[in-house]
Amino acid sequence: MGVVDMRRDVQAIILVLIGGAILRISLTDVYLNYVKQGMQPYLIASGCILVLLGVLALIDIFRKHAKSEDEHGHHGPRSAWLLLLPVFAIFLIAPPALGAYSAQRNSTNGTQPSTTAPPLPAGDPVPVLVSSFVTRAVWDDGLTLVDRNVEMTGFVTPDPAGGWWLTRLAISCCAADAIVSKIKTLGTSDLPANTWVTVVGHWVPGGGTKSESAVPLVDITSLTEVAQPKNPYE
Amino acid sequence: MSEQVKQRYRPGSLEILAVLLVVVVVAQRWILSAFSNPALQTASTIFVSIVVQALPFLVLGVLLSGAISAFVPTSFWQRALPKNRALAVPVAGAAGFVLPGCECASVPVASSLMSRGVAPAAALAFLLSSPAINPIVLVSTFVAFPGVPMMAVGRLLASFVTAVLMGWLWLRFGKSNWLKVGPREHLMGSSKWHTFRLTAAHDFLHAGGFLVIGGLTAAALNVAIPSDWLQAVADRPVLAILFLALLAVALSICSEADAFVAASLTQFSLTARLAFLVVGPMVDIKLISLQTGFFGRRFAWRFAPATFVVAVLVSVIVGWALLT
Repeated sequence: MGVVDMRRDVQAIILVLIGGAILRISLTDVYLNYVKQGMQPYLIASGCILVLLGVLALIDIFRKHAKSEDEHGHHGPRSAWLLLLPVFAIFLIAPPALGAYSAQRNSTNGTQPSTTAPPLPAGDPVPVLVSSFVTRAVWDDGLTLVDRNVEMTGFVTPDPAGGWWLTRLAISCCAADAIVSKIKTLGTSDLPANTWVTVVGHWVPGGGTKSESAVPLVDITSLTEVAQPKNPYE
Repeated sequence: MSEQVKQRYRPGSLEILAVLLVVVVVAQRWILSAFSNPALQTASTIFVSIVVQALPFLVLGVLLSGAISAFVPTSFWQRALPKNRALAVPVAGAAGFVLPGCECASVPVASSLMSRGVAPAAALAFLLSSPAINPIVLVSTFVAFPGVPMMAVGRLLASFVTAVLMGWLWLRFGKSNWLKVGPREHLMGSSKWHTFRLTAAHDFLHAGGFLVIGGLTAAALNVAIPSDWLQAVADRPVLAILFLALLAVALSICSEADAFVAASLTQFSLTARLAFLVVGPMVDIKLISLQTGFFGRRFAWRFAPATFVVAVLVSVIVGWALLT
């Protein structure tokens, strides 16, 4: 039996570590970098269950030693060592939310809506999601955006052709399925990639319509640098 | 065991764990600077999010498999499923509709069903159908394709037919020695609760490692495939179907989410996207990895490609009938 075969005590420690890692991200807002808000109770529950399974297994071991019972070599699965990778990733690297790198790699912009968007609510400026601005501009020919001042929050993705896109990602389950929405900004100076900003501006025609690769334009009148929102995804 | 240690010192797994933890903590600065590269950082975000997303479902699955091992007597399955094995396959496939589970949960559940005496063909039909046709998945498909209600219907139909066909194929051609159903005597505890606990912990450690392999591969591919290739492929109908089917294998997205990804692949035909939805929950890198862990390599290497072929063929036929 090789040294990589896992003893019961090590199995128990790994259960506690992975459960602890899940609790660490789900008891704060960090989990929002990876999955949707609705997952929080399930993450907390599964973290607690894993820690509990590990602690009970440790208690088993101590009891057996106390009774000096003969423990047969029940060695656990070797694959369990790999569970240390997400533990290390969460505690040491703490990967940030997806940002400009993913947005730049993706050439599709938003998704085709099934219905026409309703008129924007009252407000000057009116707060709008980046994804909503993109679908309104691209698939409704910008009709609902004419003569409206909009306020949007997103991060900076440098456009290889110069300037930058106001960008936001949307996830439907986890970060592996992120969908990019981006808007080309006019009237701004360059900012470093992944800077979070809140902008006020208005739609200008010319970005192309009825296409998955069209990038609408927004003329920016005011810009504020902000901290990354609690939930980085829309 | 403690007497052996006194006689001759051999480093055990606990020592290795301790050394590993110290090394990682000492090397933290070096590791962090390596991960400041945007591609590696993106891959690590995707890796962590796949693992984090799948974990609650995996925990649910191992709790279920533990409960099946500890609390459900073998006789229950003999009464619940038809004696005729060919008939038991569609019944087990249909049971997938009732038990909502992610694909990560279904592997340990199917494994414990087999070790409780359920015919492998029926357990495999359940393994394939439960992540694909459960209500959560169908509703999310319906929501993701608002203009195309036939997409959810096609998904239900094609997934169920594929699951049943694979069960029957196993019945006709499968050999029991391909399948490694682990003896579980060592997981028998002093009480039913103890057995439940031991089985759940063992299955989690086992499956978790394979989930990590799947997550790593999917993250690497996610960063490596240039998205501009997609448009070029989408314009060729046959290639598009094969490509999306293979993409489903590579991306390893959970079945609750894949409908939204399929909806965003608007360059592709509906049939190609149906293939993506049917193949994904049945064959993907994370699943192949999990199946290898639970049923052995001899099984996974035969079962996964066969399922892939059947799923693609059934999707093409159903897509042609319903979506064109």
